[in-house]
Amino acid sequence: MPNIISLQTIKETLNAQIIVADSGLDDMIEHVYASDLMSDLLAFGKPNSILLTGLATKQAVISAHMAEFKGVVFVRGKLPKDNADKYARDKKIVLLSTQFDMYESCVRIYAAMSPGVLPTSATIEEQPPEHTLLSQDFHIQGRDFSNAGNVSTEIKEILKKIGIDSQISRRVAISTYEGELNVIMHANQGTARLIVSPTAIEVIIKDQGPGIPDIEMAMQEGFTTASEEMRAMGFGSGMGLPNINKNTDELRIESKINDGTTVYMKFNIEK
Amino acid sequence: MSDCQHHWVMTNVKYGFVIFEKCYHCKELRTYFTEDDSLLLGDEYREGEHFYNRLESAQSFTFDLICTRCNRLETFNDLIGLFYCTSCMPNCQVEKLQQQYAPHKTWIMVAFGVLPDAKKNPIPQAKLDILSDYFNQRRDTTRSRIKIVSFELIADLARCKGGFIHDVGLLTKEGPSEERKPLF
Amino acid sequence: MTVQELIKIMGLTPLSTFEDREVKGVFISDMVSDVMTAAKSGNLWLTIQTHKSIVSTANLADVSAVVITGGKKVPQETIDIASKYNIALLSSPLPTYTLAIKLHELGIEAE
Ligand SMILES: [Zn+2]
Ligand SMILES: [Zn+2]
Repeated sequence: MPNIISLQTIKETLNAQIIVADSGLDDMIEHVYASDLMSDLLAFGKPNSILLTGLATKQAVISAHMAEFKGVVFVRGKLPKDNADKYARDKKIVLLSTQFDMYESCVRIYAAMSPGVLPTSATIEEQPPEHTLLSQDFHIQGRDFSNAGNVSTEIKEILKKIGIDSQISRRVAISTYEGELNVIMHANQGTARLIVSPTAIEVIIKDQGPGIPDIEMAMQEGFTTASEEMRAMGFGSGMGLPNINKNTDELRIESKINDGTTVYMKFNIEK
Repeated sequence: MSDCQHHWVMTNVKYGFVIFEKCYHCKELRTYFTEDDSLLLGDEYREGEHFYNRLESAQSFTFDLICTRCNRLETFNDLIGLFYCTSCMPNCQVEKLQQQYAPHKTWIMVAFGVLPDAKKNPIPQAKLDILSDYFNQRRDTTRSRIKIVSFELIADLARCKGGFIHDVGLLTKEGPSEERKPLF
Repeated sequence: MTVQELIKIMGLTPLSTFEDREVKGVFISDMVSDVMTAAKSGNLWLTIQTHKSIVSTANLADVSAVVITGGKKVPQETIDIASKYNIALLSSPLPTYTLAIKLHELGIEAE
């Protein structure tokens, strides 16, 4: 039986200040994730978690949304900059800020957890999704870090609207986000195509970037050596391909140096 | 007032990004700190005579020190970061200091000023000593101490393999890269 | 409690060579900025950050040991530098949150 706790209890036990909680504090939290490394959160974070972090940026909120977290607590009194609050409001993510540090926050949440209490609201019977065939294209603007996450967010919402299982749409969102970041980091522009069929979701991300010199190497966990050109961009290297690989049922990458990269991802819809 | 046995604490802590840029024409490296989160990734851009290209941006922070006893404020907005030596060059003054101080259980750290200004006007050693005092006051000095020196002591910046203590890989998939990107 | 005692009780794996010392409190962060600003002397630092700069950060902040959580693989270079500076670099297969709770149950409080 998982230990669970409401956002309201977390707010109280951490003496937290509410930054965004338009959707209320009734949601139940099953896992606590204490980290500042967003790649790790995207790779290992479980849905219905809360993120405790000292990384007070919009990227933390985007990553939390991609991983289907319910909320983010900024520790040590930090407040997120730029328009993290607006993003959180749009995506119905709760943002809190506590004066406690990460360790104290972990300990307090643990102490306040009531083991084995299930949420009172019964699960709503879900309508079987209507198997509409859907195909839609999205533009990804390269080098525009401020809009990173827009396309994956949009795709995630579309999938939710048409009733795709949240486990699958979460995997689609995470993989698309990684792919989107690759385009933003390495190319001037790119496109994402979303295709939904009765049996699978496909996302194809194309860019006109520098290309990946050695795909096999790039697929390895912790791969870091980037081309000189990518280094010059100041950001690139890890590519997030291993993380995409983990979340897809099928992954194909085609890349030509100085021409571009195409990442084809397929996610099976199980009956 | 000068009799004060200063006890330093950090104040005015600001989180943001350190940006490293290089002009392709004159090869001048410049650094600055910004709190701006939007992190526009560097395309080449022109500023007067220079064509700056972003080499690297890392998450970092700036701070000042204040004495809790006499309220003296020592600002450090001219400090772009602390740097660790990896003993890459035997003839490097930093490495020589490391060897000299190691038996006394004192670790050497290198302070970088804002470039290019710091090349002409380096952070005075007296100020770096205050920074050393601060870190030593925070630690158990019966075990070991910290000594902070200026980056000009590095024998050859272009060949130095040392690294900045900056945050890497928080936002992106960029794994922790083994080698510092070539900056100089 | 000392680092060596903690290694035995918590089943941590030592990666570097180091001098034993007292553990006082816990600090959790993957940001070297936060450790440099807020960690205290003797703290046990829990992180999933494995870049070699964690060693210099641990040295500056005078933490008693760095525990890499989640069983994350640590580059050999990071381990070598830790040994050089006598910094205890340890590894735990547990995620940060779970390890934090276990340390709390062991009676190690925030400093
Ligand atoms: Zn004073
Ligand atoms: Zn050196």
